[in-house]
Amino acid sequence: MTARVLKPAPAWLVSSEQPIGTGRVGRRKRAAFLEKTPGDGAEVVRRAMYAESADPRGDRPGVLFRIDPRIKLVALVVLLLGVALVHTPVTLAVVYLGLVLLAWAGGVSVGAFVTRVWLFVPLFTAVALAPATLSVITPGEVLVPLWTWHGAQEGITSQGLTSAGLVILRVACSVSLVLLVTISTSWNRLLAALGALGVPRIFVMVIAMAYRYLFVLLGSVLDMVLARKARTVQPVAHTAGDRRFVGAAVGTLLGRAGHLSEEVHQAMTARGYAGQHHTLTGFRASGMDLLALAASLMVAVVIVGGDHLLR
Amino acid sequence: MADTEIVFHAKGLGYTYLDRYPALDDVSFQIRRGERIALLGANGSGKSTLLKILDGLVFPTSGELSAYGQPLTEESLADPAVNARFRSRVGIVFQNSDVQVFSATVREEIAFGCLQLGLSAAETAARTADVLDMLEIEDLTDRTPFQLSGGQKKKVALASVLVMNPEVILFDEPTAALDPRTQHWLIDLIAQLGEAGKTVVLATHDLHTLADLTDRAIIFGEDHRVLADTQTRAILADRSQLIAANLIHDHEV
Repeated sequence: MTARVLKPAPAWLVSSEQPIGTGRVGRRKRAAFLEKTPGDGAEVVRRAMYAESADPRGDRPGVLFRIDPRIKLVALVVLLLGVALVHTPVTLAVVYLGLVLLAWAGGVSVGAFVTRVWLFVPLFTAVALAPATLSVITPGEVLVPLWTWHGAQEGITSQGLTSAGLVILRVACSVSLVLLVTISTSWNRLLAALGALGVPRIFVMVIAMAYRYLFVLLGSVLDMVLARKARTVQPVAHTAGDRRFVGAAVGTLLGRAGHLSEEVHQAMTARGYAGQHHTLTGFRASGMDLLALAASLMVAVVIVGGDHLLR
Repeated sequence: MADTEIVFHAKGLGYTYLDRYPALDDVSFQIRRGERIALLGANGSGKSTLLKILDGLVFPTSGELSAYGQPLTEESLADPAVNARFRSRVGIVFQNSDVQVFSATVREEIAFGCLQLGLSAAETAARTADVLDMLEIEDLTDRTPFQLSGGQKKKVALASVLVMNPEVILFDEPTAALDPRTQHWLIDLIAQLGEAGKTVVLATHDLHTLADLTDRAIIFGEDHRVLADTQTRAILADRSQLIAANLIHDHEV
């Protein structure tokens, strides 16, 4: 049997003419939002996920890394409740400073810890709370006059600032608490601890697998962005073509995610999975862990009690 | 071989995706215990679909399939005891290791199957340690899947199946996307499993190592039908058959 004869290639494909686009002269333009953001965002998340999982055993110096994850989760809930019950900014400021000290003593990098807290959540919280500092929302003593209304000075009030400060500090303390737990505990052990504390295993398994395959799908996002970039001659602006690309990419990812989930389910079924998830991980709390739990309970009581006295 | 137990008996199997795209058409064969069989065919000929059907993950749209003398259907596998018995006897290694390595750590991945089938935690841990040692991947024990290379994921996927000690192991393109050293290692391992008496079914379009790994080959044509079912060496020697199945290319014009 002889091979099927290929059709002849078109002349432009086999000629030695100059490639398209050569000889152009243009100014270098900044990459558009669509070109940079999905790829950069996906890369940031991938790096963060990789870094968080890089040390699964948590064998780092620092007491926070050695405490049983279950104890850390229970302590987290107790202290979050304590913070939620505080009503004075001074108490919250003291709590926050205490958390920074705890981070330092517990072996967590203080610089990274503070940056991660103050770079994102409180900043966005402050933006959302800014209107609440105005006298039209929170009446009171005007500290920073901004305009007059019917002869009365309106602007930022001290009561408004106090309320906003309270919320911002509460958010900062809450985020700091969560961050202390997540920085000092690998994702795998955190999920296992949730399961050990009675969170339904199926819930934990879904979170674990979503986290696991987010990495795979992020890789697909990066590949799509790079593939488009490889065929993009000049920086693109916000055009209908870009929106079609985004729509097509979202649709492709959805399809891929669906196909991936079906195959993963088949892989699980092939090894006996029938709805109940059984795991191997076990924990054993030590004296230090119980001491940490008792300490967190005491601290929560002191915080709430001290706040009550200050009011 | 004629007297050995029939593991799989397929009669007129057909499978169509979305009621429109045929993957298998009128496929019939028997697989006996201890046989080492290659499913040969070009991309899209239905090999992977057949493996999934043999593993009871998808079910044929026509025809019949029985495993160990019992019908292999969605209804029969709905019985937990039947399902557990089947899953412990038949294992599959997927082409894409990413779908098979879904647990948070390598240790949990390998332990998964045994725990689902009811083996105790202690015995599962012991078997897991044995398999990690056998495949020389102890250093990966606490690693997470997305930290692993393609070859490492393949080893973990294989370990997760071997730990269950199945009698039948189905491989879907086992050497695809592996570097030469890992390929060589995997080929040696598959050969070792075959010599140990496991029934091995290998879906592939890579002809180079087939004669060493398998005794019998079933060739699928691009029409999704069985073109030939005979000894591997006979098929490898039949050039026209291989060209017809798009397994090799004839450079003569």
